[in-house]
Amino acid sequence: MKFTDKYVFVSGILLLLYRNLFAAIDKMFFIWQILFPVFQIYIMGYAYSALIGDQGINIGTSSISYVAFLTTGMMGFNVMQGSQIAGTIFWNDRKNGMFHQILAMPFNKIQYVIANLVTLIVIGLTSATAIILIGLPTIFQDMNITVWGISYTIFALVAGSIFFGSFTIILSTKMKSSETYNVFSNGLFIFFIFVSSVFYPAEGLPQPLSAAFYFNPLTYIADITRAGIFSHIDAFTNLEVLALTLFSVGAFVIATRAMVKLQI
Amino acid sequence: MKTSQDIPLTYNENENCIKVTNLKKQYGKGKPLVINGISFAVKYGTVFGFLGPNGAGKTTTLKILTSLLNPTSGDITIFGKDLFKKQSEIKRKIGVVSQNPSFEANLKVERSLDLYGLLWGLNDRKARKDKVKEILKTFDLESIKNSKNDELSIGQRRRVQLAREFMHDMNLLFLDEPTVGLDPSARRMLLDHIKKHVKSGLTVFFTTHIMEEAEYLCDEIAIIDNGKIIAFDTPIGLKQRYGRMNKSIEITFKDNLNEPFVNILKDIVKENKKVSDDDELNYTYPEITLKGGNAIKIKVNDIEKVISEIFLIVPKNGMEIENISVNSPSLEEIFLSIVGNSKDNFNKR
Ligand SMILES: Nc1ncnc2c1ncn2[C@@H]1O[C@H](COP(=O)(O)OP(=O)(O)OP(=O)(O)O)[C@@H](O)[C@H]1O
Ligand SMILES: [Mg+2]
Repeated sequence: MKFTDKYVFVSGILLLLYRNLFAAIDKMFFIWQILFPVFQIYIMGYAYSALIGDQGINIGTSSISYVAFLTTGMMGFNVMQGSQIAGTIFWNDRKNGMFHQILAMPFNKIQYVIANLVTLIVIGLTSATAIILIGLPTIFQDMNITVWGISYTIFALVAGSIFFGSFTIILSTKMKSSETYNVFSNGLFIFFIFVSSVFYPAEGLPQPLSAAFYFNPLTYIADITRAGIFSHIDAFTNLEVLALTLFSVGAFVIATRAMVKLQI
Repeated sequence: MKTSQDIPLTYNENENCIKVTNLKKQYGKGKPLVINGISFAVKYGTVFGFLGPNGAGKTTTLKILTSLLNPTSGDITIFGKDLFKKQSEIKRKIGVVSQNPSFEANLKVERSLDLYGLLWGLNDRKARKDKVKEILKTFDLESIKNSKNDELSIGQRRRVQLAREFMHDMNLLFLDEPTVGLDPSARRMLLDHIKKHVKSGLTVFFTTHIMEEAEYLCDEIAIIDNGKIIAFDTPIGLKQRYGRMNKSIEITFKDNLNEPFVNILKDIVKENKKVSDDDELNYTYPEITLKGGNAIKIKVNDIEKVISEIFLIVPKNGMEIENISVNSPSLEEIFLSIVGNSKDNFNKR
């Protein structure tokens, strides 16, 4: 691509990003995106803590409190939860005729997909920041913020947005109606949540189940996010980074292909 | 996205803005050809009317021309450039109002116009604001500018969709049944607005089912049926070509008609049933109808001949003509006869 083409390509994505954030998404979504984790952290976190007592949870070589474990897990969970908005934007755009219109304008499908993913990244990072700030009392004791560590966290949130956003887009191009899409994606996401290390660690679970955890990108997202915030990065974390990268790139390639092939 | 200058606004009157050659489209393998080898050209600065019955292939053609659909085969050049090679460059200079509604459900009308301008690369906030103001005024949307798009009536929404397209500069505008749902004054306002833009160089590709509109606006008309273009001419040309044998005369007599006289008239009309072996002329169905007690309406091929024959027999039968009028058929009647005839041929096959 020539420079001007690149410029046009990128500025097109930015314009669509602006549209997504300020026009395509219902304001209620943002509020929910913040409120829900707060509810989870403070109610669920302390309720479970009462249940399991003072015992810490091991990550790497040290041990952290359950609320701290949960708060950092919620950041990854929120990325997954938020990524459903990519499907919603797409359905609404099709329903309201904006998908057609945008493609008749100087934008193409690839720009549309990337803009939706960047939207998720922006939302994911913003709500993760909000979770850190609101959940600060829960992680304050255990956290150990370093530039190196935080870059792992950011990577996990960005790659996670790309994976789940692409996943959502693939689903929504394959489903005939928004109802089947919702049923399908809700069902799959429940599986993603419970077979992951968002709410509980994989260690100590029966073998087949803990193995299943590692077929789930959400586990990588939660693990890497935690490793970053508590600065417990080891060889295994780097392996998870590699796995998450592969999942995200793969999902992205499939999503753009599905979109390009989509008959209008 | 800068409004690109790479496609010059100056053009040669005789050059084609759109040129389509042998275009074919089938929705999937084994499916029928919904566009079956059509070719046509649209000159710069003209309005091209694309007419045809439901399911004829109008929207499909328009979607292909606006890069929303890939054709099965065929060549398309727009602004003298190959559509498939220069797609993004061409898209920057065209506007599209599709047949389906399209709107930003969450936004107010004014805000959605502003956003549309921004998406089209109108970066200057002030310029955009002025443009929005101007368009709200032109399209009479000021009273609803603070309403949310998904709270509008169907016609209001259509108006916003049409108005929106004029937020940006373009050289070519595609309109797919733009006036559906508009009230008469909004319709007239839109047509006049389009005419104004055409005068200053815009080229328009326009589909409609409303013949008066096509006649009012279009420089050339193509009629498509079953994926094939079955007629192509100026509105006047169409009328001359297909209309001359579809003329009707209405004769009012001083006194009421009696049966023997009516029978004589019927015989005259019957004799004139076939005046030509020219295939085109077979679109006509000669007929005579009684209107009230003292008037008749006759549809024939050779009006002049019939009139002179009637003039001869009227005094002989002691009748007197009070009034006589010759009506040219409307474009609608011509459309019906062309499409009807094509359907007849289709059924015969
Ligand atoms: N997505 C699609 N898949 C399969 N067939 C289609 C599709 N869209 C249109 N068709 C078929 O193609 C033919 C032409 O449709 P098109 O929408 O172009 O008609 P049209 O001339 O615009 O009609 P109308 O006046 O009703 O808008 C129809 O027979 C229609 O059934
Ligand atoms: Mg149509």
